[in-house]
Amino acid sequence: MNAHKPRLGLVSLDAPLISNLAVWSNIGLIRQYHENLPAQDAKRLALDLLGRLHVASIAEKRNPSLTSEERFFAMLLRAAMVRNAIVVLDRPFRILTDHRDGRLILDCLRKLDDLIAETYIFDYTWVKVRYGGADGTEE
Amino acid sequence: METIGGFTLRSSGSLRNSLTFAVRVVMRLLSPRVFNSASRTVLINQIYFTSIQVLPLFLFVAVIFGSMVDGIVFQVLKDLGLTEYLGPLLMGFVVTEIAPFVTVLLIALRSSSAINTEVSVMKVSRELHTLDMFNIDLIDYLFVPRILNGMLSVVLLSNLFSLVVIFVGFLVSIVVFGTGFDAYVDILMTSADLQDLTIVLIKCATFGFFITFIPIHQGLTASQELTSIPIAVLNGMVKVFMAIVIIEVLSLVIRFV
Repeated sequence: MNAHKPRLGLVSLDAPLISNLAVWSNIGLIRQYHENLPAQDAKRLALDLLGRLHVASIAEKRNPSLTSEERFFAMLLRAAMVRNAIVVLDRPFRILTDHRDGRLILDCLRKLDDLIAETYIFDYTWVKVRYGGADGTEE
Repeated sequence: METIGGFTLRSSGSLRNSLTFAVRVVMRLLSPRVFNSASRTVLINQIYFTSIQVLPLFLFVAVIFGSMVDGIVFQVLKDLGLTEYLGPLLMGFVVTEIAPFVTVLLIALRSSSAINTEVSVMKVSRELHTLDMFNIDLIDYLFVPRILNGMLSVVLLSNLFSLVVIFVGFLVSIVVFGTGFDAYVDILMTSADLQDLTIVLIKCATFGFFITFIPIHQGLTASQELTSIPIAVLNGMVKVFMAIVIIEVLSLVIRFV
């Protein structure tokens, strides 16, 4: 894991959003820090990406006031900000507590496909059926 | 004996850790590559929270405190017939001792406690772990901007406090001595000592370093339990107070011995 750490974009409850930063700051922070992207450009980039997921309105919100879905979007976008990202989703249904299946997750990943090099989803085997069809086949 | 030995070992180990951490922070403070866009944003926000937001309260305290100190000091000087000591007392006591001390107490009460709590909460809620997962160096991103802000804020606010006290002193001197503006400025200029003012600047910067460094270091001692937050803040604030007293005493020793 350490070898891939520079490219790791973790989406997990164990890597929460920074609570004293707005959503756009959480997303833009990665490029601001690693690529010295000016704050205004980072905000513009974050707003564009939030727009892709149709949640630009949450840009100024902070972690405690987000719904579970909005929190997942913000965490996924932050992970996608890592250059040439290897996005690792660690038990995403722990974040998306109201969702019964993985359609939203797969849909979001499709929309951010150009930003993400590789994606890995780590979850319990008995949850596998939630990522595929009703018979358990994966999409 | 075992208790004393254990206490000594723990204390010296804790001091060694603190010094090692302090040296790492100072080295980063001197490195220009630390100041990327993210760190600059934190620095600007911190300066706003520490120096700008506090201005109304700070100016109010400075005017009230300045009026009180100037009024008492000037009246006592007049009663004792020691008016020639007006300048040395104003520059050598109020500007170089009182202004930095009141400033650092106010900033420590307000910002040190906030920083201590913030770092503790970030530790408990695993937000520091998040930053590490995204390869964001805690010293570069979180600590250096806060410490630099502490140093800048104490220096600037202490100077502002001095200016307010000097201006209030002018108004009081008109009432007590009937001094004109030119005479008042002349008294201040002849009493100003460059060495003293340099020591004050260094003292303010040192105050600023320790009232931010100690809360950060103590905040990092919080465990993963919520109950560790008040303990970390309590320990941090006690150490901040001790640091302020020690720096004040050392600066007096350097000035007068």
